[in-house]
Amino acid sequence: MKTDFDVIVIGGGHAGSEAASAAARLGARVLLMTSNLETIGQMSCNPAIGGIAKGTVVREVDAFGGVMSRAADRSTIQFRMLNQSKGPAVWAPRAQCDRSLYRRAVRSILEEQPNISFQQATAAALLLEAGRVCGVQAMDGRQFTSKAVIITAGTFLRGRIHMGTTTQIPAGRAGDAPAIDIAEQLESLGLEVGRFKTGTPPRIDGRSVNYAGLDRQDGERPDYRFSAFGQTDRPDQRPCWITWAGSDVKTIINNHLQESALYGGAISSRGPRYCPSVEDKVVKFPDAERHQVFLEPEGLDTAELYVNGLSTSLPPEVQVEMLHAVPGLESAVMTRPGYAIEYDFYEPRQLTPWLEVKAIEGLFFAGQINGTTGYEEAAGQGLIAGINAVRRLNDVEPIVFGRDDGYIGVLVDDLVTRGVDEPYRLFTSRSEFRLLLRQDNALKRFGPLAAKLGMLTPAELGVLDHRLGQEQEIVSSARESRLSVAEAPALLANAGRNAAASPQTVADLVRQPDLSLKALLGAVHGPSFGPFSDEAWVSAEIELKYEGYLAREREAADRLTELASFSLRADLPYSDMKSLSTEARQKLTSTRPGSLAQAGRIPGVTPSDLQNLVFEVIRRRATAA
Amino acid sequence: MLSDVIAAIATPPGRSALAVIRVSGRGAHAIAATVLRPFAVEPLREARLTEAVGADGEPLDRPLYVVYRGPASYTGEDVVEISTHGGLLVPAEVLAALGAAGARPAAPGEFTRRALQNGKLDLLQAEGVADMIDATAPAQRRAALSQMDRGLSARIERLREQVLEVEALVSYDIDFPEEDSGPVAPERIAAATTTLEHALEGIRGTARDGERLREGALAVIAGRPNAGKSSLFNALLGSERAIVTEIPGTTRDAIEAPAVCDGFPFRLVDTAGLRESEDRIERLGIEVSRKYLSAADLIVFCAESGRDLSADEEKAIGEFPAPVVLVRTKADVRGGGEGVAVSVHTGQGLAALRAELARAAFSSLAVRGDVAPVVTRARHRAALERALVEVRGFTAARRSGLEAAVAATHLRAAITALEAIIGVVAPDDVLGRVFATFCVGK
Repeated sequence: MKTDFDVIVIGGGHAGSEAASAAARLGARVLLMTSNLETIGQMSCNPAIGGIAKGTVVREVDAFGGVMSRAADRSTIQFRMLNQSKGPAVWAPRAQCDRSLYRRAVRSILEEQPNISFQQATAAALLLEAGRVCGVQAMDGRQFTSKAVIITAGTFLRGRIHMGTTTQIPAGRAGDAPAIDIAEQLESLGLEVGRFKTGTPPRIDGRSVNYAGLDRQDGERPDYRFSAFGQTDRPDQRPCWITWAGSDVKTIINNHLQESALYGGAISSRGPRYCPSVEDKVVKFPDAERHQVFLEPEGLDTAELYVNGLSTSLPPEVQVEMLHAVPGLESAVMTRPGYAIEYDFYEPRQLTPWLEVKAIEGLFFAGQINGTTGYEEAAGQGLIAGINAVRRLNDVEPIVFGRDDGYIGVLVDDLVTRGVDEPYRLFTSRSEFRLLLRQDNALKRFGPLAAKLGMLTPAELGVLDHRLGQEQEIVSSARESRLSVAEAPALLANAGRNAAASPQTVADLVRQPDLSLKALLGAVHGPSFGPFSDEAWVSAEIELKYEGYLAREREAADRLTELASFSLRADLPYSDMKSLSTEARQKLTSTRPGSLAQAGRIPGVTPSDLQNLVFEVIRRRATAA
Repeated sequence: MLSDVIAAIATPPGRSALAVIRVSGRGAHAIAATVLRPFAVEPLREARLTEAVGADGEPLDRPLYVVYRGPASYTGEDVVEISTHGGLLVPAEVLAALGAAGARPAAPGEFTRRALQNGKLDLLQAEGVADMIDATAPAQRRAALSQMDRGLSARIERLREQVLEVEALVSYDIDFPEEDSGPVAPERIAAATTTLEHALEGIRGTARDGERLREGALAVIAGRPNAGKSSLFNALLGSERAIVTEIPGTTRDAIEAPAVCDGFPFRLVDTAGLRESEDRIERLGIEVSRKYLSAADLIVFCAESGRDLSADEEKAIGEFPAPVVLVRTKADVRGGGEGVAVSVHTGQGLAALRAELARAAFSSLAVRGDVAPVVTRARHRAALERALVEVRGFTAARRSGLEAAVAATHLRAAITALEAIIGVVAPDDVLGRVFATFCVGK
């Protein structure tokens, strides 16, 4: 059947952009439809990309020629490499971005893809036929047909903004209408829906801030780029400012607690523990004397500041009172009040590990609709949905990332296996393989797959080969080169007794914490070695320095892969498997894991359940044969 | 065939007033109903009188029966327990009738295995059940009971929590670098790690006694020929196991037998007396003695009362690899000499010797006055050792200058080792701990 498009993406946020881009890079005819074309790539909350684990996701998306990395590079106005003191294995890049530059960059990057069409239209309903999706009905009456649909609705599904206990505004984001019709249709299809809340802090006019007593935080690493593909110039740089909320703010919050939407009873849905409102911080940690507040620039062409750390659902007048109690903000003008927003999400255990809705063929969900928060988490899901929507219409095996492949694999597996009971955000603690999943090796982890899928341009393939080749060259040289104390007395002065005795390979020497690979190989080869990119040096050094630890994680990952290779069919009659505990039967029935490894991560499924599951499956296979 | 119906006599065979037959599995109620008339599933968990009939319709017995419905039963499956009259014949006939109705004889431990599979017991509890059944000494039974009650599981879980606490401190630093509390002081992590190490060492320290408690302490009776070793062996055992004569060198081979002293289990070994011998068989016996001596948990060294120890004996005592309890035998003939004076003829000193053996072999447990919870299996000890090695590896890696983020790999390995003991996979709750401990929210 001829359709208007191969893939329709509903929503133009961070999930939608990546989904559209990935599908287009795979050659699909893509329609990106959104209620407002002006807000494609809009950062609805804080003006920053990256951070802990999230920065790594940006790099993983980049390995597939993604949008987020390049848009961030074009709009970075302050950059920090977090965790620099904790070793390169956990470095986390984070960029403050000019909100408007970022948005424009996303739009223009998407428009570089000839296969993407844009339509300003609000989706009213999915067109369905015999349990499969076949297009989208718009509010204005137009119909668009397609073989797959990806919904990336963000906080728009029956979104409701709360300020205090009396002000409630139906909205998907401040100033934008919510999506009601399609939300009602999705629920009527029998999908399990829940409500989450999240919040955003007030913004202020930077011209009304007294910076005299505040800590200025400038950016660093002017050379760093999220994208491996092209060194775009950074725009002008701006500092962030650090102040704090102390006992005065606590007093104000305690006095007005009942007026907060959260504590006054207007909101009952779960919010994220890691991104609490300032009310939450004061109530749950009453002993904390002060809470840091970061003033982050909204952009180059505005003085407006984002007040990070004061997310709140108090009434606007209390927010002003609270702001004025913060040092430096005594006479600050609040430009936009903070608010809490409640929205629909769909229990993600209803999805396959490639983010297709199990009950409706061809329908994919990505981003906050799956119960996550964060631009990066959304982008990662968008990538998975985009790739697999195209694979669905080409009728080829889906692509699933493993937990040891990348944070995107961890994220999607956590969602579809464990489900969510609060808005889900990535942390390094979510991964069993913190050292394997680094920002520096994302290209190495995913670049070859992206190349194999055909998602990279010839120029990008060249960059990939060059970058990985350089790293390989450095590592090989380190394994082959030897150095003795006599040859490099200053460098190896503290290199320990072994090095003193006989020459050691550079690969062995670099395991000592204070020795750098570049210095060691420099001592061996002199200036003729290289030049190599900093990125190649960093990765090579980490691989060698932490070789033993990486090998241990790799072993653990291999054990997991073994379990993952024991696949479980979607139609296994778990409820008949009496050797499993009742809880395991219920959990397995509702989750329907794809592999033994996934089954093992379901809370309530014990090792003895797994053992019995193996017996049951083997017996069934024997009976069937 | 994991849920087919199994049946077995749950009480020991032989003459007894009652015997209990347990039937478990999918269809256990239906099978019981063909043998027991009348039979009704409800009311559950209530003893009712019925008649058991054989396959040919012949009445076998008038037993009581109790019905359980899975998962609320010992095995987690449908269960019927039938209390028949005891003896060899009646229970066997009822079992045969159940067999004819479709039940399969249960393999040893199969009921417990099913309980384990159905999540009714964790691995430690199941091991506790096995130990409970095997227990011959009261102290063994107490340890097994506490293990069944999850005493040991709870303690291992607590250790796991402690590792998670350290991991949470490290994770907080990695995952929340810009928060109010600032970085976690290295001293705080070091202190938590030290506490953890001590806790691990503490429970591992019970392993030696625990394994001894499960298997019985190997107490080897040694001494010169004709020192009264076999008489003492028989006296401690309360039966004439070893041949006793006044001819030196009578005992040629080592004899091992279980014994209970003051409530603690022993494997008591009588050995050939140690001397230079021309007799080839006796020499082989002496070789065996030496092997036992080298493996002993405790050596009971016998020397007659009323004489000084010879230089050879002093030397032997000094060289034994295990603690030595010196016994002065034949105390009724003539008294005197260092050691516990014992006469197997009058019974003098036997009670004191038993107490001394219990103290010497199970000192830490005896002092604790309470045997719970201790590590009673080599498997547990090995896992605890692994956890300890990993925690120490973490400390060593930190000392060598390695970043906490990298060194934390050791902590995760320690958690995995402890989880292997309790056999519980719980979702990673490091983050839960972080959120409970720290105010985060940049």
